[in-house]
Amino acid sequence: MIKLFSVKQKQREAAENANGRPPVKKQSAGELRLQKDISELNLAKTTTIFFPNGKDNLLNFEITIRPDEGYYQGGTFVFSFQISQVYPHEAPKVKCKTKVYHPNIDLEGNVCLNILREDWKPVLSINSILYGLTYLFLDPNPDDPLNHEAAEVLRDNPRQFDINVKRSMSGGYVAGNHFPRCI
Amino acid sequence: MADQQQQPSSLPSSRTDDGSGMENRWRDIDRLLLRSGNLVGPGFEPGPELREALENDFRVLVIGAGGLGCELLKDLALSGFGHIDVIDMDTIDVSNLNRQFLFRIVVSFGSIRSSLSSKARAICGWKSCTAVGVDCRMQDVGKPKSEVAAARVMQRVKGVTVIPHFCKIEDKDIAFYKDFQIIVLGLDSLEARSYINSVICGFVEYEEDGSPDLSTIKPLVDGGTEGFKGHARVIIPGITPCFHCSLWLFPPQITFPLCTLAETPRSPAHCIEYAHLIQWGQDRIGEYFDADNPEHMKWIYDQALKRGEQFNISGITYSLTQGVVKNIVPAIASTNAVVAATCALETLKIATMCSTGMDIYMQYTGTEGIYLRTVPHDKDRNCIICSPGVPLEVDKSITLQKFIDTLLKDSRFKLKLSKPSVSYHGNNLYMQAPAVLEEMTRPNLQEQLLRLMGGETSDVLNINDRRLTGVLRVRVTFREGADTIDMDTAGT
Amino acid sequence: MALRSTKYDRQLRIWGEHGQSALERAHICVLNCGPTGSEALKNLVLGGIGSFTVVDASKVCASDLGNNYFVDWDSLGQSKAKTVSAFLHELNDAVDAKFVEESPEALLESNPAFFSQFTLVIATQMQENSLLKLDEICRQQNVMLIIARSYGLAGLLRISVEEHDVIESKPDNKVEDLRLHNPWPELQRYADEFDIDTTDNVIHKHIPFAVLLIKITQDWKRAHNGKLPANVRELKVNFLTITARRRVEEDEDNYTEALKSAYVVLFPPEISTELHAILEDKLTEVNASSPDFWVMVAALKQYIAKEGQGEPPLDGAIPDMHSFTDYYIKLQKIYQARAEADVTAMVGHVSCILKQIGRDSSSITRTTIKHFCKNTRHLRVLRCKTLRDEFSSKAGPELQRFLANEESSHPALYVLLRAVDHFAATYNRYPGAFDGELEEDVSRLKAIAVSILNDMGGGGAALPEDLISEVCRFGAGEIHTVASIVGGIASQEAIKLLTRQFTPVQGTFVYNAMSATSLVLNL
Repeated sequence: MIKLFSVKQKQREAAENANGRPPVKKQSAGELRLQKDISELNLAKTTTIFFPNGKDNLLNFEITIRPDEGYYQGGTFVFSFQISQVYPHEAPKVKCKTKVYHPNIDLEGNVCLNILREDWKPVLSINSILYGLTYLFLDPNPDDPLNHEAAEVLRDNPRQFDINVKRSMSGGYVAGNHFPRCI
Repeated sequence: MADQQQQPSSLPSSRTDDGSGMENRWRDIDRLLLRSGNLVGPGFEPGPELREALENDFRVLVIGAGGLGCELLKDLALSGFGHIDVIDMDTIDVSNLNRQFLFRIVVSFGSIRSSLSSKARAICGWKSCTAVGVDCRMQDVGKPKSEVAAARVMQRVKGVTVIPHFCKIEDKDIAFYKDFQIIVLGLDSLEARSYINSVICGFVEYEEDGSPDLSTIKPLVDGGTEGFKGHARVIIPGITPCFHCSLWLFPPQITFPLCTLAETPRSPAHCIEYAHLIQWGQDRIGEYFDADNPEHMKWIYDQALKRGEQFNISGITYSLTQGVVKNIVPAIASTNAVVAATCALETLKIATMCSTGMDIYMQYTGTEGIYLRTVPHDKDRNCIICSPGVPLEVDKSITLQKFIDTLLKDSRFKLKLSKPSVSYHGNNLYMQAPAVLEEMTRPNLQEQLLRLMGGETSDVLNINDRRLTGVLRVRVTFREGADTIDMDTAGT
Repeated sequence: MALRSTKYDRQLRIWGEHGQSALERAHICVLNCGPTGSEALKNLVLGGIGSFTVVDASKVCASDLGNNYFVDWDSLGQSKAKTVSAFLHELNDAVDAKFVEESPEALLESNPAFFSQFTLVIATQMQENSLLKLDEICRQQNVMLIIARSYGLAGLLRISVEEHDVIESKPDNKVEDLRLHNPWPELQRYADEFDIDTTDNVIHKHIPFAVLLIKITQDWKRAHNGKLPANVRELKVNFLTITARRRVEEDEDNYTEALKSAYVVLFPPEISTELHAILEDKLTEVNASSPDFWVMVAALKQYIAKEGQGEPPLDGAIPDMHSFTDYYIKLQKIYQARAEADVTAMVGHVSCILKQIGRDSSSITRTTIKHFCKNTRHLRVLRCKTLRDEFSSKAGPELQRFLANEESSHPALYVLLRAVDHFAATYNRYPGAFDGELEEDVSRLKAIAVSILNDMGGGGAALPEDLISEVCRFGAGEIHTVASIVGGIASQEAIKLLTRQFTPVQGTFVYNAMSATSLVLNL
C-alpha cells in the first residue's frame, strides 16, 4: 500500500493541468498494438493497403487483393477492416466490399475464415489475416461454405465453377445474381 | 432538531455542534478516521482534518451509473466523500430496475411522501408510458442515468455534491480526468475500462531514476459482476499492474464460425446468430440493425424460429434471442452491492490510509458457498500502457531522422532494432511499412522531434520493429542543445 | 406481466420463472434496520420478494444519517422501522411493506409466535444471548434464519436451518455424462452407422466427436484385450495413427474436439462423495411423512442398484459438436430418449415407494421427477448446527492450528467478534465505545477472547495483538460499506434458500474487510 494523498498538503487544484497545451490524442491499447502490426506489414505483391482516414487513424483501412493465379486471377477484391479498441483481444471485423462468387464469401461480403472468428488468438496479426484472405482466393474451400451454391458447383464440377467465376468477374450473372465487373 | 426538520434544504455541517446532535452523524466511520490504529496504511494521519479533506478536498469520479454505479454513489456518499462526479451515456431501461435502486417505475402515493426536492423533481419528472402494454407511470424510464442518480443521492444524503455527466467517456477532454484524485469504475465493457486505463496511465510522470512521480498518480478502482460472481481491483498506475497488464483475466468472447451458422446450425444460438449476422443483411438491405428497437429484435426472433423449424432445432425463445444478440450478462442486486462496496471501501482506504489495502485483485464467488479472496498478480514490465519506458535524453533540436539514428547507435537498443518505426500517442511519426504510410510519413524525418511531439519536453515514444516482440517505449527528455552543431549535421 | 418479465429479466436468466415465483411467495422478516438490515432488504425488495416486515424499536438519530441510505433528515426522531420500510417500499411497489416498532429482543420475549408467519428471518446486529433464543424459536416454527453482523471492518454470517435440500445446485463445473466409455445399444448403433475411414472429406470432418471417441476407444480395446487406454496420452497416440492413416493435412475441428474431450472416456463421472453420503443418509428410509426430496432419493437408490447398473439417470444434455445438423440432432435425440427412459424408470420406483408408505402413487409428478433426474449428480443437503451447538463447539484445537500459522486472520476475528458480545454483556457497552478507555478495553477484550478460546479447547493459542486493538478501535461502528457487503451477502444467501437453487454457505462465514477476504469455519 502506498500513501498518495496528504491531509496537510491540500489536494492539487485542477487549474494546473494541461500546461496550456492542447492535450494529445489518447491512444487505446488496440491502436498501440495495431501500430506495431501495421509497421511490420509484409504485403505480397498482390496486396495493397489504403487508409481512408489518413496516416494517424489506422483503425479502419482497406485491403485490395489482386490474385495472380487460380480461379480468381486478374480480379480485384476490396476488403474493409475495422479494428476494435481492445484489439487483439477481439478479432478485426473484415468484410468483402466487392460482390464475389466464392464458396466462403457470401453475397453480403461476410467472410468465413476461421481466424476471423472462432480461432482468433491475440498472437495472430493483421499479416496472418492477409495470408488467410489470399489463400482463400487461391484455394477456395467447398467444405465450409457460406455461399452454398458456389460450394456445390466447386465440389461437383470444378470446370463449371471456373466458368462461373470468370463470368462473375467480368460483370455477368451467375445463379440469378448479378456481379459487378472486377477485372 | 426541530429546526433541522423545518429546513431540510439547508446543509448543516457535520462538525458544527448546533445542538441537533449532528456532530454524531459520522460517529461510526469516525472510529476509523479519528482513531489511530495498528493495521493501517503508511503515514495514516487520523483526525478531524481527514474527514474535512474527504468532504472538501477530494474529488472522486464514478464512471457508470448502472448496477455498480448506483451502489458506488451511495457507498461513497456514506463514506464521507463530499464531491463526486458521475459519467454515464445511457438512459434508464425497465430491465435496470431489479438492481439499479436509484431508479423507479412507479411511485406510490399515500403513506409515502415524495422524497424529491423541486430540482430533483424537475429532472425526474413524470412520463406516462404504455409501450410495454401496461398502463403505468414510467417515472424514470428513458431519462439519463447519471442525472437521475445524482439527483437522488443528493436528495437523500445531505452535504454531498454529485455532478452528473450525460455523455460517453471519450467525449470528455483528457484534461477532465485530471480534476479527480481517484477514479472508480462501474462498467460492463472491456473497451471502456481499457480506455480509462490508458488515459490514467498516461498521466504518470517519472523521476529521473525512473520511479513514478507520486503526485501524478491517479488510482483506479474497478469492479465487475456477472450473476453471483464478481471482482474488485485496485490499480495504482506506475506501481501496481494496470488493466492491460492483466487483460488475460478477461476470457475471450465466444463466437461461432460463420459457416456453422450458414450450413450446419445445431443450437438455438446458432439460429439466432444466423438471423442476426447473415439474414438481416440479406433481407433488410441498407437498414442499420438496432438491438434496442423491439421491431428489429422481433424480426430476428421470428427468423430464428423459422430457421429452427427448418433444421429441427427447438428451444428458441424471445428472451434467449435478446440474450444472444445483445450479449446480455445476468445481473443481480446482491453481487453489485458486494462488489461496489468493496470498491468504495478500497477507495476510502486509498484516500485516507485508514486501514490496510486489499491485495490488488479480489474475486467474489457466491454460487457455491461464499468466497472472497485476493489474487495477487504481477506487473508486466514491458506493458505497452503502463511501463515507464527506457529513458533517453536528446537535444531539443534533434530531427526525427537523427533521433532514429541515435536509437540505432544506442547500445541498449541496437541489437533489438533494425528498421524502427516511431509513433507518438496516436500520431505515426515515421512508419517503415507499408509503402503508402512510409511515403506519407517520410517528410517528418527532417522535422524537429520536439515539434512533432507538440512541444512536450518529456514523453513516451513508441518504437516498433520487426526484431521486437512487443512495443519499445522510449521516454524522451529534451535538453538544451547546441543548435548550430545539430543543424550542421542534420542534412548529412 | 410483460413489465414484470422485463423488470426482472436480468435475474430471470439466473434463477428462472420458478425461482422468481418462489421469491414472490416469500415473507421476510428483518430484525434491526441499521445499514446491515436495510441493505440486505434493499436487494431482496429489488428482486421482488412477496413481503417484508422490519422490526426495530429505535428512532432515527444523527448517526443513522452517516451510515444508512434508507433514512433522511426529515425523518430524524421518527420511527426507524417506519422510515426504512417506507423508503424500501419505494424501490418496488410490487412488494408488501410492513414494520413493527418494537425491539427484536422484546418481541422474542413477548410474542415468540410472531415469527411463525415468515418464510425467512434475517437477524442483524443482535447479540449472542438473544440470537440463542431466536434460533430456538425459528427451529421450532420451521422458519429459516440468517444471522448477519457487521462490526467495524469485520463481519460474521451464518445460516441456521435444520435441513435444506437443493436439487438445482447449478455448480460451476457441471459433470458431462456422455457414457462414451460404455455406450448403450442405441448409442452404439448410431456410432456403428459411421465409417470413420470414409474417403468423403466432407463427411469425415463432420462426424460428431462422440462417435470418434466411441470408435477409437473400441479399436484400442480390441487391440489391447478389452482394456481401456491407461491415460489420455495413449489415447492420443491412437488418434494420431488414425489421422496419419487418413493423411489429413490439417486439424479437423471434430478431431480437435475429440482430443480435447478424450478425458470423458477415461475418466467418466463417478458418484460424488456428496451424492454417496446422500444416498446413505438415514432419511432414505422413508415413511408417510417423508418429504418428496427423500422419497426421490430413495427411488434413486433403487434405480442405481437396478436399471442404472451403478449409474444415476442420464441427464440427456450433450455439448455442441462440430457436425452436420442432422447428425447432431439425431445424436441429441438418442441422449434425450435415454434420459426420458431413465425418468420413466424413476417414476416407477417413486410410485412404488409412495404406495408402500401409504401415499397417492402419483402425488409426485413426472415433471418433478424429471427435474430431479436432470440434477441427481449435483444434489445437495445442507444441515446447520444450532447456534447453541456452535457456541459450545470444541473446535479450539483447529482454531489453534490456524492461529499458529498466522496465515489467516479469520479464526482470530471470529473469536474476537464473539468476545465483543461477552464484553457488552459484562460492561454494558462495547469495547472502544469511549476514546478515553481504549487501552483498558484492549486488555479487557483480550482476557475475554482468551477465555472463549479456552472454553473451545484452544487454550494457549495467541491472538494477534494488532487485531485485538483494531477490534477495539472499531468500537462497534457499523460502517456503511461493510454493512453493504455483509447485508449483500445475507440477501444472496436468502435468495439461495428461497429459490432452492445454488449452494448456501455451510458453516460460519467470517469476513475481513481490511484484506477483503473471507473464510468459512466449520465449528
